Amino acid sequence: MNRIPDVTFAPLPTPTENSLPLRRADFSTLAEALDYAAEGETGANFYSGSGKLATVLPYRTLRIQSLVLARRLLSLPIERGARIAVVAETNPDFLRFFFACQYAGLVPVALPASANLGGHEAYVAQLRGLLKGCGASVAMASSQFLRFLQEAAKDLDLAFLGTPADFEELSEQDVELEYSRPTETAYLQYTSGSTGFPRGVVITQQSVLANLFAVVNHGVDMRPDDRCVSWLPFYHDMGLVGCMLALVASQRSIDYLDTRDFAMRPRRWLELMTTTRATIAFSPPFGYDLCSRRIRPDDVAQYDLSAWRVAGIGAEPIRAELLDRFARLLAPAGFDPRAFVPCYGMAESSLAISFSPLRQGVVVDWIDPDELAENMRAKPSDHKSGSGFVHCGAALPGHEIAIYDNQANVLPDLHVGRIKVRGPSVMSGYFGLPEQTQMALSPDGWLDTGDIGYLVEGSIVVTGRHKDMFIINGRNIWPQDIERIAERQPELRSLDASAFCAPGPNSEDVAVVVVQCTLNDSAQRRQLTKRLHREIHEELGISCVIELVPRHTLPRTSSGKLSRSATRVDYLRRREQDGSSLSMIDSTDLSDAALSGSLVVDWKLAKQAVPTGSGTPFGLRAAASPD
Amino acid sequence: MKYESILSQLCEELLILTKGRTTVGENTELVGDLALDSLQVMDLLLLMEDRFDISIPVSILPDVKTVRDLAIQVEKLVSNS
Repeated sequence: MNRIPDVTFAPLPTPTENSLPLRRADFSTLAEALDYAAEGETGANFYSGSGKLATVLPYRTLRIQSLVLARRLLSLPIERGARIAVVAETNPDFLRFFFACQYAGLVPVALPASANLGGHEAYVAQLRGLLKGCGASVAMASSQFLRFLQEAAKDLDLAFLGTPADFEELSEQDVELEYSRPTETAYLQYTSGSTGFPRGVVITQQSVLANLFAVVNHGVDMRPDDRCVSWLPFYHDMGLVGCMLALVASQRSIDYLDTRDFAMRPRRWLELMTTTRATIAFSPPFGYDLCSRRIRPDDVAQYDLSAWRVAGIGAEPIRAELLDRFARLLAPAGFDPRAFVPCYGMAESSLAISFSPLRQGVVVDWIDPDELAENMRAKPSDHKSGSGFVHCGAALPGHEIAIYDNQANVLPDLHVGRIKVRGPSVMSGYFGLPEQTQMALSPDGWLDTGDIGYLVEGSIVVTGRHKDMFIINGRNIWPQDIERIAERQPELRSLDASAFCAPGPNSEDVAVVVVQCTLNDSAQRRQLTKRLHREIHEELGISCVIELVPRHTLPRTSSGKLSRSATRVDYLRRREQDGSSLSMIDSTDLSDAALSGSLVVDWKLAKQAVPTGSGTPFGLRAAASPD
Repeated sequence: MKYESILSQLCEELLILTKGRTTVGENTELVGDLALDSLQVMDLLLLMEDRFDISIPVSILPDVKTVRDLAIQVEKLVSNS
């Protein structure tokens, strides 16, 4: 069969209106959802960095192409349920491969299409870890990413690896396709967990459809005139489930910007929202923040955001003041702050756990930071002295949220503890990791989210994490990864580094690693600091504050492990007490021209912002955990 | 466009971006020496794309460490466009 061209002459995006009656995700499988969407005119549209419409992919075309590709995949010597790993760039090929898997009873796995400057080796190692972790049988990357994938797959036993064009060479099998069934795995979603220990969340058709049904009906209340814009990557649950599958399952059109293009030119997001009259867009708080920092007052007049009725926020702790700034800046463009919909969710629950009520906007709880830190209670406080936390709404219909203490007792409202959820959207487990699965999922179906928080009148409020993960510039960072990079340096040994996050300039989080060593020579110390900074950036894509301290400085727990929280407290105390005399790296480094970049700037700014305590969600005190 | 011209324009941009705190040469490492963070890297790529009217693919970034690496990539992209 001839391949249907992606681009028709003078491409127009797929329409918002659809002649097909709206069905709100009441399907039993993703394949069935696409089959129905393909009867209408809507689809996905991909825009280039210059803002031009590059490719139009109506769901009708997507279905035909995916069916062809499904028959080609079946020519390979692979079993039903085999994992098909795809480097997930924001382009039509990702959708084709994803749905080809649905039609052929295979399991797609999205691999990240993002690497850091100079991070070749780290990226290849990450891809290799994922290919091995999911036991991939087949792997696909565009011609641009192929070399990394090939390097990552060296000596692995794959049935096929290639570009989309290579897959077109495969012969179509003349067989009746057996679609992935409701109880079969729909996809594996690798969580943005530690790069050293990737965990693939197993989501069945039933689970993802249960979540989509709740999101489409209850969460956003999808309507026939809805249209979505997204720049979220497909290897992220909010990008995959929220901004791809939810649209297919409700037959709505969506316009995609590449993630990197958004990061470079955030204004494109709002331009596209304006031209398409989009009604729905989701972003982590990071995206709203980036926009407010980049938008010039002159730009605002060009935007018309009056159609935007659901401005979803999730995936990170939400800071109300950032949203407030965005809303005030864009009010002249018709942005309504009541469009904000704070959500709570995670890949382990397909995507969403709770949605704030529509048209409510952001509701902030001001609570006493001392009561929170010392007694794990959410005691209302006033605006000035309290810590602000955002309400993320009630559990989706058919789902439950409960707060537990460490003795497995359920806590009442306004008591802070571990957030657990139960319901049809919850994962079956982590792929091939029974121990990790057992730790996260109880026999009676409760998922330990790894977050802490409290309930107030049924609404969940997240106050922190008992996992150590933190988020810098929209990236999930695991301290273990920073410590691993430090401890592999020849000057250091195991248990010489402790990483955490601390409030930086403008009270956002910055990564800090405290490293103990015996080096006295300033040149050697400088060399170590510089190398560490570079390697952390190459691997994790963030700048990290590095503090060198003498050996035997890092505090340990009673069991001999390093205590990150105690190290953090010590670090903040040193920072506060010593003030200007404390050197973040060490005094010789500060004078070194080669190092006078952002490390020093970070530090100086960080000092200005030393814990204000009040009004700073996720600041010093709020980081208390029940451990 | 000649490599030398791209290189000097790149160095110029880097001086502005790092506020002239340090000297920039062909062998200067963007992250190792200049300590650019991920948002500054985005700013730099944006400047390069706008100035040379090119689109820099994400996939070249893993192999860019020094100012020279980036200048070579930009030269390639300019001559291909």
